[in-house]
Amino acid sequence: MPRQCDICQRARAIIRRPKTGQRICKECFFHVFETEVHHTIVDGRLFSPGDRVGIGASGGKDSTVLAYVMKTLNERYSYGLELFLLSVDEGIAGYRDDSLETVKRNKEQYGLPLMIVSYEQLYGWSMDSIVEAVGRKNNCTFCGVFRRQALDRGALMLDLDHIVTGHNADDVAETILMNLLRGDIPRLGRCTEITTAGDGYMGRSKPFKYAYEKEIVMYAYLKRLDYFSTECTYSPNAYRGYARQFLKDLESVRPSAIIDIIHSGEAIKVSEEVQAQKPSSCERCGYISSNAVCKACALLEGLERGIPKLGISRSAKHFERQAVEPVHFERLREKAHEMRRRRMCGDSNPCTTTSCDDSCHGTTCACTTDDDGAGGCH
Amino acid sequence: MGETLRRGRERVPGMCIKCKVTKPSVTIRQSLYCKECFIKTSIVKFRTGQSRLRKDTPHLQTKALVAFSGGATSSAMLKLVVDHQNSVRKDVDSTPAYTGIVIGHIDETCLFPEAPEEEIRAISGESGLLYKTVGVEEVFTLAGGRRTALIEIVQASIAPGAERDQFCARLVRPASSASHKEYLKALFSSLGSTTDREAMLDVIKRFLILQLARETGCGVVLMGDSGTRIATKTVALTSRGRGFSLPIEVAAKSQWFGDVSVWRPMRDFVAKEIVFFNYWTGQRSAVVPTFTTGEARLGSIDRLAEAFIAELDQDFSSTVPTVCRTMQKLEPHDEALSALPCLICGMPADDNAQAWRNRLTISSNDAEDGSIRSSPSATLPESSLLASDNTSSLLEIARAVCYACQSLLHHASPGMVLPEFCVERLGAQDVSGRSAQGTTGAQRETLRKQIDEFLLKDEDGACDNSAVY
Repeated sequence: MPRQCDICQRARAIIRRPKTGQRICKECFFHVFETEVHHTIVDGRLFSPGDRVGIGASGGKDSTVLAYVMKTLNERYSYGLELFLLSVDEGIAGYRDDSLETVKRNKEQYGLPLMIVSYEQLYGWSMDSIVEAVGRKNNCTFCGVFRRQALDRGALMLDLDHIVTGHNADDVAETILMNLLRGDIPRLGRCTEITTAGDGYMGRSKPFKYAYEKEIVMYAYLKRLDYFSTECTYSPNAYRGYARQFLKDLESVRPSAIIDIIHSGEAIKVSEEVQAQKPSSCERCGYISSNAVCKACALLEGLERGIPKLGISRSAKHFERQAVEPVHFERLREKAHEMRRRRMCGDSNPCTTTSCDDSCHGTTCACTTDDDGAGGCH
Repeated sequence: MGETLRRGRERVPGMCIKCKVTKPSVTIRQSLYCKECFIKTSIVKFRTGQSRLRKDTPHLQTKALVAFSGGATSSAMLKLVVDHQNSVRKDVDSTPAYTGIVIGHIDETCLFPEAPEEEIRAISGESGLLYKTVGVEEVFTLAGGRRTALIEIVQASIAPGAERDQFCARLVRPASSASHKEYLKALFSSLGSTTDREAMLDVIKRFLILQLARETGCGVVLMGDSGTRIATKTVALTSRGRGFSLPIEVAAKSQWFGDVSVWRPMRDFVAKEIVFFNYWTGQRSAVVPTFTTGEARLGSIDRLAEAFIAELDQDFSSTVPTVCRTMQKLEPHDEALSALPCLICGMPADDNAQAWRNRLTISSNDAEDGSIRSSPSATLPESSLLASDNTSSLLEIARAVCYACQSLLHHASPGMVLPEFCVERLGAQDVSGRSAQGTTGAQRETLRKQIDEFLLKDEDGACDNSAVY
């Protein structure tokens, strides 16, 4: 005999919810999932009405569900947000090119403007060429460092107030464990924050901080959302692999453990004497950095000089020569200010108000690009 | 002189790192030691650790209780403590580390009939120290042998994450015919999982060890948590949602328990060092059964954490020392230090725990109006262990229970009966000196009034309410 939903007591239960163990129906699952994300947004005071919010979109399950849920909640609860899809093209053949096709379909499906920034455009290196230069080991360091900065660059090109990413509860719990095991105390204090400062110019947050990965997959499956599901073709991180496997095992012993770890992480207090030092700006590109030269510039220098491993293992201050010069963040910020000023004056900007795959490349829409690649429109 | 010192630090390839003339017998974190140097180094390391623990109170004169399970680490600790105590030099004016040493042991035969109690008694007997033991079931008796009241959990919420989790309890008088063992067995069979049973056993053992320390006049309890165990506990407690109390539970030295200080002098030793130390010094130890003895790695959270740390340590040998160092850098929240002890575990209870969970896990459609689906009276069980002529009003105890123990209650069967120390904690909360503030204080006062008739007053000779942890 079919079992009734534990929540509405009417419809037939079709899933057992990992987070609570309840057997619930499809509609109730959508309701609780969306409401919990809404609570996260409201309690964390993530946005203000009128904010321009970029959704970091990779085409994977997390960001696809995030885009859908953000659009749904924005309409349902009248957040008054202007939403954008913001993608980073790392240049990984057979992986990112396929997933970006999914993002382009999402753009049509959800009617959201899309901007794609590529490593090649920003730094002159694609991940495929980086792997060719450094080998398969440690290449994730490059990808992670560049992606974080690329998102901020894209956000400035669109003059966004905020970026949201699809990091879920499993990711946060895994990071807490990793930082405990590695003894990374400053990060342990920071990793549970729902909003981080980004480049100091705009906020960056995780509305799915308390959403289980399994439930995100369930949501995408039951809503029949169009997403891309392939692992990156380059090697995964071995140490993180241990933590991930432990978390999966832990979830099978006690499904609520993921949220319990996040509760623990939030409650752990780091001694004040080991708090992170106050970040400053990179003297080359103006990006937020705790050293004189940011990690991205250091890695780029290593790549250009043909000694990429130096960029990973040694402090950036040993480098004297600057090989590549990405657009300075100050210039990006000036452009963003200018765009905002024009918007305030009612001067519409095709790049940010219409959907445009290749905004700032000037190829498929009316927008044009500055010669220096800083984006913005004339 | 400088030349000698420099040579002292140099390693001689293929020889012991200390004496440099003997072939090594063991590798400890990439360093090679011969048998003699390894034993000497272990003794020195233990004594240095003891000095570090006494840094704030160099003239502390008190008796110490060695918490002795019979396992490898507590056996090694016993040997090292006795060795340290007997090492007083006669030619100088020095005093032993402690004014006396008592061995405290919890007899778990009631839960594990195969527990090697005779062997444990024999091992402790070799030290010639006073050996005090107490059965785990004795948690259902207060000091002095009186039986006052027990707490029966009659409803532990509707579902995990209900809008208003209900943790309702009532105070009951125990039936005179039921034995302590029956109560203990009923308590453990009410718990929902092996993880919860392990957690409850830890809580009970900690309470009994502290009681033993107070009864024997010891101001310090020495716990045999090795570095490996600290790392395992860190992962397990984090996974059980105990982050709020984690810095207290794995601290090298904790004053949380007020009159008794808890020290962990074995945290500088990894499991491998302890095994070799015992083997080479002829220190015997027993195999102590647990709830997951012989079980697969998914048996419980503690068992899984143990397997995880062991596997990780094989590939990354610095894991255990790194986690131990990390734990030293954490400190309890100010709120944790002023929080009231959880009714069940005695660790600080986070006031916001329930609100935090409820906001993030919704389990009913009418959540936003705050209604409760079922009435507590609908599920009142009848337990043969309790005196039926006693009825008292229901107590809402959610705020008196920490986040992790709330999870434990979620999965427990209705009718679970908790030991008397829970009643004591409930009654002690507004008189313990760790007073709550604002509305919480008012709520606790209401709670206290409800249980007033069950509380023993000082003139009745009850144990001091301020020391119920």
